[in-house]
Amino acid sequence: MGAGSFIIGTLIGWFNVKLGPPSLSSIDLFGHTLNLSSVSLLWGPVMVAIGAPFLILDLGIKWRFIYACLNPRTSWVARGFIILSIFIILGLVLLAKSVLPFEWLHPGSVLWRIPEIIAFIFAFGTAIYTGILLKATKSIPLWNTSLLPLLFLVSGLSTGSMAIILSTLGTGLISHDTGALKVLTGGEQVLVVIEGILLYLFLFRRYRAAEQGKDSVRLLVFGEMKMIFWGGVVLLGFIFPVILENIASFFPGNVLLICVAGILLLWGGFFLRLGILRAGIRDQIPMHRLMEIQYNAMAERTKRLGAGKPTNLPLGS
Amino acid sequence: MDEKVLIVDQQKCTGCRLCEMVCSVFHTGASNPSRSRIKVIKWEDVGLYLPMACNHCEKPYCAEVCPTKACHREPENNYRVTIDKKLCIGCRTCVVACPFGHPFFDVNERVTVKCDHCDGDPQCVRFCEVKAISFLDADKTNMARKREFANRFADSMRQGR
Repeated sequence: MGAGSFIIGTLIGWFNVKLGPPSLSSIDLFGHTLNLSSVSLLWGPVMVAIGAPFLILDLGIKWRFIYACLNPRTSWVARGFIILSIFIILGLVLLAKSVLPFEWLHPGSVLWRIPEIIAFIFAFGTAIYTGILLKATKSIPLWNTSLLPLLFLVSGLSTGSMAIILSTLGTGLISHDTGALKVLTGGEQVLVVIEGILLYLFLFRRYRAAEQGKDSVRLLVFGEMKMIFWGGVVLLGFIFPVILENIASFFPGNVLLICVAGILLLWGGFFLRLGILRAGIRDQIPMHRLMEIQYNAMAERTKRLGAGKPTNLPLGS
Repeated sequence: MDEKVLIVDQQKCTGCRLCEMVCSVFHTGASNPSRSRIKVIKWEDVGLYLPMACNHCEKPYCAEVCPTKACHREPENNYRVTIDKKLCIGCRTCVVACPFGHPFFDVNERVTVKCDHCDGDPQCVRFCEVKAISFLDADKTNMARKREFANRFADSMRQGR
């Protein structure tokens, strides 16, 4: 979401989408005038910066994350550290540049385009990285597909554009009169439709990919995670936001509908990731099949000997 | 030096879990089977026991995804796949990647650990009384192992029918 909102925010800046006169364009702080007109467009790195430390806190030995940073060629976990770090640093620098009142920063200089472009590229990297990381896990057929990074990228862009809409509501930065909100919600709806198509293709192809891919899709769509999929992903993430946004277009100025649609869409993005992560089932190895056959044979024998009915589920030690 | 492999004869295993005990004592100094590198999976209701140890795969997924290459193959040391505890950051990516569910996170040491053949003298092999686990030269055992596996598989198929 953070990277997606930075991408959309930067595009808005580059293509100079007409923004309405913001009611909260600047504030006075200790004698300095802080320009807040770009905050809502460039706040993505702040979100990523808040989330990134959790990746480090999840490590067994926290300080050793530096080992991963020093080995960018080894794996996608290591590359992810680099991608996220560069995006956060450059993104925060660009945000600070747009807010701070210091003239010596030359905020209007063309040279700022260089870090902007680099940050834009790394924002794409950040949005797509989780998908690539999961794709690298070859033993889980549900994740091992190129469609997953693409799906996560489009999901990041749709939730990111919605995060921008949400963060500008009430500030007057994007108003109905200027049409900027219309452009943003329109773009966001197109992204949601693309995301839906990608999700369908992803599930369809994974269903046919391998036995465990099929099991994973079944688990997600018809199994114990069907509430996450149908309730969280389909209803909250796709159907409700689109319906609410379309209703909102008939009532200009009604921010509540957009607000509810936005929050539901963000929850949808969360459930999409949760569902895909939890539905990943490991590939079956030949030994599994052998053990299954042996278990069934022994269970049959036990049954015949009248030693009680064995349970169907294998028990761990 | 010839490559040696751990071979498990699941039909001989009685589920005594002595292998887990000696493994944990050798590697951690504690008599704690939950920290053992070998795990005996049990189906008590039908009397089926399967000791699970690392297969030291030819193309190890765990080594492929390790961000610091703490998990690596040692050609000079029986081609074993091992984890350098000094380099491991405890990200658990190898745990997710392994199709056999082998490497596991040691909560005491805060790193991922796995079977390392006890530096050439696997304790599980040494102490297994029924010889359900053996440590043999790969080239000498390969055909016999395959034949044994095929025979057993055929038997199971006949029984399972």
